[in-house]
Amino acid sequence: MAELEKQFLSRKTMEMVTALLTAGAGLAICYGSWRSGIGWSEMGPEAGYFPFYVGVLIILGSLVTLLRSLFFYRHEGEVFLTMEKARSVLGFFLPLVAFMVISLLLGLYVGTALYICGAMMWQGGYRWWIAALAALAVTGLFYLVFEIGFQVPLLKGPIEGWLGIY
Amino acid sequence: MGNFGYLMDGFATVLTAHHLMIMMIGVMLGILVGVLPGLGAPNGVSLLLPLTFTMEPISAIILLSCMYWGALFGGSTTSILFNIPGEPSSVATTFDGYPMAKNGQATRALTLAFMSAGIGALAGVVMITLLSGWVARFALQFSSPEFFAVYFLAFGSFIGMSDNAPAKTLVTMMLGFAFATVGMDTISGSLRLTFGIPDLIKGISFLVAVMGLFGIGELLLTTEEGLRFDGIKARVRPIDVLKTLKEMPRYGWAILRSTLIGIWMGITPAGPTAASFMSYGLARRFAKDKSKFGKGDPRGIVSPETADHSAGTSALLPMLALGVPGSATAAVMMGGLMIWGLTPGPMLFIDRPDFVWGLIASMYLGNVVAVLLVLATVPLYASILRVPFSIVGPVIVAIIFSGAYQVANSTFDMWLVLGFGILGYLFKTLDYPIAPLVLAMVLGDKAEDAFRQSMLMSNGSLTIFWSNPLVSGIMALGVLMLIWPLIAKAAGLRGLRRHTAGHQAKV
Repeated sequence: MAELEKQFLSRKTMEMVTALLTAGAGLAICYGSWRSGIGWSEMGPEAGYFPFYVGVLIILGSLVTLLRSLFFYRHEGEVFLTMEKARSVLGFFLPLVAFMVISLLLGLYVGTALYICGAMMWQGGYRWWIAALAALAVTGLFYLVFEIGFQVPLLKGPIEGWLGIY
Repeated sequence: MGNFGYLMDGFATVLTAHHLMIMMIGVMLGILVGVLPGLGAPNGVSLLLPLTFTMEPISAIILLSCMYWGALFGGSTTSILFNIPGEPSSVATTFDGYPMAKNGQATRALTLAFMSAGIGALAGVVMITLLSGWVARFALQFSSPEFFAVYFLAFGSFIGMSDNAPAKTLVTMMLGFAFATVGMDTISGSLRLTFGIPDLIKGISFLVAVMGLFGIGELLLTTEEGLRFDGIKARVRPIDVLKTLKEMPRYGWAILRSTLIGIWMGITPAGPTAASFMSYGLARRFAKDKSKFGKGDPRGIVSPETADHSAGTSALLPMLALGVPGSATAAVMMGGLMIWGLTPGPMLFIDRPDFVWGLIASMYLGNVVAVLLVLATVPLYASILRVPFSIVGPVIVAIIFSGAYQVANSTFDMWLVLGFGILGYLFKTLDYPIAPLVLAMVLGDKAEDAFRQSMLMSNGSLTIFWSNPLVSGIMALGVLMLIWPLIAKAAGLRGLRRHTAGHQAKV
């Protein structure tokens, strides 16, 4: 049993963690609204009046979910994530985060090209020159559609400037 | 000039080469987002929206609404050929569509699906043509308390009618309202819920939320479920299409019933997903011979498809006439209208009849174009799904982040997309509904304004929501919807509520 528990993240735990998370968000919303005034001024209800009650409802809803998962739980014993699934989700998610950080530093075009090239090489098992060609093609297409077709600029970094593209 | 005259004017606006071209592009892009995993109709429309800011509003709405039709069709295609619903609303189509295609009748299954979908959608548009003017005229007598009551009704029925636990629906909905209030308060001008973060002063865009929740969230879920696309080779032969067309009249009764279900569920915020499940459930319940259901019964394709599309179309009626969208995609489109400076609601029919009726006319044409295009291009899209996920996934991610950046040229929005993506993944796996969050984000400001203005009118007394028969009636209906699960339980009707809930896949 101990072996199994190591591998699983149970759904019940996740359910409670999420309920606590939303309850926390509710508290933050109540606090934020309280700071901007939840009362009544000569202009009518103050800015925090409406969101304050929204926050209260979030806390109430979260508490109900929390209590239900503690005492009347229908999905008892269900698994939220197995190690195997977690690995494939993380295998997708971590490169995604890396892509975002690279894009923030070097611009979205460079980020996209590197991301697609990397994902194809490491996850898809393609040879480097196929991956690089595909990455260039997709990035080029992005440039045509966004920059030229719809004339909306994407985030650019130092490399485009150095190449003198914009 | 009656509705008919306006409609003819609308056709005159729409029937230009430029607009027909836009329609085709919209439908093609729509099928694409409907087919690809992680890109659904709400997300696709959100991604396209920033690109339309420079277009004429009428052209832009034609593009976006046609994308919506296309996405609905694309979702059915993958349901039938790959057993993967491209859209949550086409889950019910997999039950019989995939088995029929597997039996070597892929063309028959696709034709049945597209034709019944087209009929359902057209029925929805006819309903909009007939009713929208009337509903809008009725809504002209609304003032702030009535509008708040309508919002209350919409959100109350979400909580009452949804499959998900009411407390979870409440939480996601209220989170949506809270996200909508972040930033500058429009009435007092003070900052709210920014917690000292300068990037939050401009507020949180609903587009960014949709891209994260629907886009990244769904992609993460897709990777978890593993990706093996065992597709069925589909070559659409014209002769098979014609043969299938000849058998369509046999399902007249099923189509009629499903249309009515779809229209009802589309106008009320239950939405296309619930409509298709309910329609499938009723088709099976009323069938004399149930043995073929799940093994490729044509009625099991026709019923959910008709209901899905008539609900999808009908969802635009409350959006146009009342300013209350009936589905997540309609909510995104409504947000778009507001960005273009058009306020959906009864006044739109008076101020911009050309726009409203142009849109309605485009819905007729768009759906016809969609049926023809989707039949012609099925093999093309089926081959796109065969591209490995290690290529498609990153491309979709890159498109989503580019789209998020384009909303306001802000890098902070990219972080928000990431956050919303994790939230969406968490919510989806734990059965929190996401549509109410999107609706609340789009409607948040309007609902709050209506509420605060009502409070001003009554000096802070909640009795204003019960002060005349009209507002009391709407509020009473809202309360009824809200506590509907309790009533149904008490009356022992629980079985009727959603007998197919067990089939609900995680999409």
